[in-house]
Amino acid sequence: MLSFISHSPAETEEFAASAVAPKLRKGDVLAFRGGLGAGKTTFTRGLARGLGSDDEVSSPTFALVHEYACDPPLYHFDMYRITGFDDLYSTGFFDYLGNGVLAIEWSENIEGALPDGAITVTLTPDGESRTITLEGGPF
Amino acid sequence: MKILALDTSAKSASAAVVENGEILAESAVNTGLTHSQTLMPMLCGMLDAARLRLADAGLIAVSRGPGSFTGIRIGIGAAKGLAQGLSIPCLGVSTLEGLAFLYQGLAGLVCPVMDARCGQVYTALFSAENGGIARLREDEALSIETLCEILAACDAPVTLVGDGACLAFRALRDRVPGLLLAPPQLRLQRAACAGLAAEAALASGVQPVKPGELLPSYLRLPQAERELNRKMQQHSNQNQNMEDNK
Repeated sequence: MLSFISHSPAETEEFAASAVAPKLRKGDVLAFRGGLGAGKTTFTRGLARGLGSDDEVSSPTFALVHEYACDPPLYHFDMYRITGFDDLYSTGFFDYLGNGVLAIEWSENIEGALPDGAITVTLTPDGESRTITLEGGPF
Repeated sequence: MKILALDTSAKSASAAVVENGEILAESAVNTGLTHSQTLMPMLCGMLDAARLRLADAGLIAVSRGPGSFTGIRIGIGAAKGLAQGLSIPCLGVSTLEGLAFLYQGLAGLVCPVMDARCGQVYTALFSAENGGIARLREDEALSIETLCEILAACDAPVTLVGDGACLAFRALRDRVPGLLLAPPQLRLQRAACAGLAAEAALASGVQPVKPGELLPSYLRLPQAERELNRKMQQHSNQNQNMEDNK
């Protein structure tokens, strides 16, 4: 388990870029837990930078998945609007598994379909601070 | 009539031209899911090498599913576009039936198995007999356990084929007597077999369709759907309890 207390979005991003991204390998799945404004997208922005991508990172609320060019490639999902298995299948989720690193916002919605060994990333707000806890995989 | 056949239903992508039971040309790659980038150049390269032209094709056959969502859409999209441009009809072939046609001309029971994730497989059952392939069970999504019951009740040895064959073989070899695993060279879907399956379907009276009428065939996973919905329900109940406790 890896825990970190972040005091700002900049610290969250730096933590993801320097402490988390270097440990990720193709096929890893990060399942975020944490509500609106918890810092999921900020964390993912750090991941993309840490994996070597210059792409702009934003929440894939409407597109459902954003792809960032890096090695391994990073696939950024938002499952907020996924309400059933057919929904999930038609995002192409299963086609992305194993082909890069998956970062999944609102992973609670696809709990039953997360692969074994998924890394849980819990972001708990406390005022301006965030407690970030990673469990599973290399953490 | 020359049939141009495409398969992008899973990890591999392939294209082929078949005519009267003969495979005139075939090209395949199995290096990852970039079918949208590889399919058309591969198809053009194959036709060039075989001194064939797109205009020689009288029908487009395509694996219509089950399989990878993205892969099936690429295959169906490519087939529709080509058929529309060439003003020829098309025919969707079950991916599982195409797999069974790897064994056309041999004898025995053939069970295609594709990994549908979440502990489920896409499967069907065929009998290779009299130079053809007869369907014994419809395409369906099942748990490996249910597949075990079906195969254990068969009265002849069954050969498992497809990208889920290994998975099923490991799980079932001790419980299904005489179970066989297809060798690697006869295990994965090939466009040529989709083409041969299309020829057999036409010969049996199946009518080709206009490009606009060609549809993918995704199989639902009722059990995985139920499981996911149950967990989502639990989760929303937990959230509700948390709200109530505030």
